[in-house]
Amino acid sequence: MQISKIGLNTKKTVQNTHSEKRLSTNPFGVSFKGNVIQADVFETGNKTSITKNISEKSKLFASAVVSGINSFNESFKSRMNAIVSFGKKVASDTLETLERIGNTEIKINMDGIKDKIFPDRKYEVKNLSKMPVEELKSMWQDLTEEEAAA
Amino acid sequence: MDNNQKIKNIIKSLGEHQDSHAAIELLTELGTNSPDDEIRELTAQTLIKKNTHESLRVVLISKGKGINDLSARVAMASINELLSLKDKTEALKILDDTIKMHSEEDVRNTARSVKALMTFSS
Repeated sequence: MQISKIGLNTKKTVQNTHSEKRLSTNPFGVSFKGNVIQADVFETGNKTSITKNISEKSKLFASAVVSGINSFNESFKSRMNAIVSFGKKVASDTLETLERIGNTEIKINMDGIKDKIFPDRKYEVKNLSKMPVEELKSMWQDLTEEEAAA
Repeated sequence: MDNNQKIKNIIKSLGEHQDSHAAIELLTELGTNSPDDEIRELTAQTLIKKNTHESLRVVLISKGKGINDLSARVAMASINELLSLKDKTEALKILDDTIKMHSEEDVRNTARSVKALMTFSS
């Protein structure tokens, strides 16, 4: 073998190594027994496993969500039923109360309230003139006695 | 509102009361016999304003009441009220009868004086 050929071969080897490095996506250029480990191999493998894991997990998650939704629906329905029944009861009670109020006659003694707020109100001429004379007589006598005592 | 004002309001209300007969009786019984001059004065004025035979008799012919009251203030207030009546017919009729027939000379003289005043003023 000639030296020049050997040199060419060396050059080729170097070129090949460069081409192998270029093909590799392994950024560290790890080699095993002189061969550069193809990073794509474990990268692809990793990608596959992650995807797999994700899909498995998503399935689990989805099933959990579905079962969760089902249980939520059931509890929501039962709660809604309770709320609806409570609302119906309130409505019926309100109607009963309104009926009772409608049938109840409310009488407010406004004159009595006014007399308590304004105690001299009954001594106004317009109110006194509506009273029986006998009542006016007893009022007059009481006032005269009070004046005599004072 | 003091008690005196309350009594005055009762007297005023009796002047407007629908039960005129009972009102006049109460005014005669309690009002004209009150020891308070103001109450007697207001009672006499109220009775004269009613301008009925029953109410005018009390203040014109009763001794010590109305125009015959011992208090000059009450007597003068009664005379002024008589003079301010629009229809004096009933009052003059009672005064005429009093002048002619009353047993008390003082009452007759007072009636005569009041009649003269009413005649001249009308």
